[in-house]
Amino acid sequence: MHATIQKPIDEIVSFIRPGEKVFVVGCNNCAWKCHSGGEEETAAMADRLKKRGVEVVGHTVPGPQGMSLCKLDHTRKVLQEDYGEQVAGADSFLVLGCGQGVHTVIDATDGGMVHPGCDTIFGGETVSESDIEEYCSLCGECVIEYTGGLCPMTLCSKQLLNGPCGGAERGMCEVDKERPCGWVLIYERLQKLGRLELLDPFQKPKNHAKWSRPRTLKVSPHEATFCSQAGKVTVSNRD
Amino acid sequence: MSTKTPSRLEKILAAGHRAVTSECGPPRGSDPAVIEKKAALIRDHVDAVNVTDNQTSMTRMCSLAACIRLKQMGLEPILQMVTRDRNRIALQSDILGAAAFDICNVLCLSGDHQSFGDCAQGQNVHDLDSMQLLQTVRRMRDDGKFLGGDDIARPPQMFVGAAANPFADPFEIRVLRLAKKVSAGAEFIQTQCIYNLDKFEQWMTQARDRGLTERVSVLAGLTPMKSAGMARYMKNRVPGMDVPDEVVSRLADTPKEKQPEVGIDICVEAIERLKDVEGVAGFHIMAIEWEEKVAEIVERAGLYPRPEV
Repeated sequence: MHATIQKPIDEIVSFIRPGEKVFVVGCNNCAWKCHSGGEEETAAMADRLKKRGVEVVGHTVPGPQGMSLCKLDHTRKVLQEDYGEQVAGADSFLVLGCGQGVHTVIDATDGGMVHPGCDTIFGGETVSESDIEEYCSLCGECVIEYTGGLCPMTLCSKQLLNGPCGGAERGMCEVDKERPCGWVLIYERLQKLGRLELLDPFQKPKNHAKWSRPRTLKVSPHEATFCSQAGKVTVSNRD
Repeated sequence: MSTKTPSRLEKILAAGHRAVTSECGPPRGSDPAVIEKKAALIRDHVDAVNVTDNQTSMTRMCSLAACIRLKQMGLEPILQMVTRDRNRIALQSDILGAAAFDICNVLCLSGDHQSFGDCAQGQNVHDLDSMQLLQTVRRMRDDGKFLGGDDIARPPQMFVGAAANPFADPFEIRVLRLAKKVSAGAEFIQTQCIYNLDKFEQWMTQARDRGLTERVSVLAGLTPMKSAGMARYMKNRVPGMDVPDEVVSRLADTPKEKQPEVGIDICVEAIERLKDVEGVAGFHIMAIEWEEKVAEIVERAGLYPRPEV
């Protein structure tokens, strides 16, 4: 999921020009889980803006709980058909969702003016209702086979691929004494699994072109094509 | 033992002498006199001088420029390079730049995290890690090839080193990591400052057991303490540092004006003990902002005069 956190209300209000008519759009998946843009927060945002003198022409969270704002066909249908009148009267859209959601609203409104209502902070695991933690950096070249599934690109402050730096103390990272060193976690996990030999091979420099941005993925039921500055890679999901 | 580069450090080690290196931290400004003054204090007592690369992530005069100054003074610099600030293009380019001035030692490091320095909001690079940088320099030297595979005209003649911290967590991984650095191409190792001699000896035993000391020259790192306050700071605030309580209390139990002297004593005693540790090929004396004491330490430890090679 894409973790988001609302921007401070004063910052959001500062985006909106006097007299600007605003339509508020939330997301019923990730932003709902983050309490940054679900149904309740979206309705509350509409009220908070009105209280501060902003003209709000409508608000919605397209789709049922669990459906993402970034599903363009659905969001377009909701905004253009179900809320067609309010959307047509809006000068801009305040989006309570991640950056993908913001772009989805641009597409869904055929190029409407948008304001980000959230900061998109990371892709995370929903560990509990109150805890979202980052275990993947979306780097495009997964290296976690040799680290027991724990990503050094994400869990190591220096993104080291060949083992820990010299800074860990009592198992904690030198950068943040409250957070475990990623390589200590990797080592302890592999030791527990009896697979320490996975750490032996030298890991070559990473192909960072695979997380050059922007990237695209073209999918069909039996095949996917990943396109980045590293080139086009097509993989079939059948023999 | 034959040598592969014009490095004096390599020649000293190949001849079986105990090597002595020290370091100069470049200034937070552009005055070359600062580095020249430090260099003049140590030049006759060491074989080569490390020049740190924006250590503790504080922005300073670049290591390469300071190395060139040392080279022009007739000293033998060791270019420290961290992977924190430069991508693989810049790293390879700076290696060629150093080679253009016949700088022939490099120490490959990952570098302190930027959050400790004056640009905590900066982006780190770590396009390569220290191990990959080691391998890159070796490839540039031995195969005459860039990382991208093209030929290098006049490949750099660099003696290649890495750092090792015998004290960081987890202890069991430290020798594995040393082994990996040796396999990646490290020819000399300079260790983190050693205060816990027992633990260092344990680490050296493991390194010997794996045959690593036959493949790499380990220079034991030492930093003399100026005061009990410095010992406490090193113990509590410097990541990956292991300062036993008895070292702190020995300084703390000494009257303040005598503490620097005792700090030097501790350092010299450590060298004397480590001389007998099989596999210790020399000493790296990091007298931080206390370069004027390097000569005294080297002399008292019986490491002076330095051999001619």
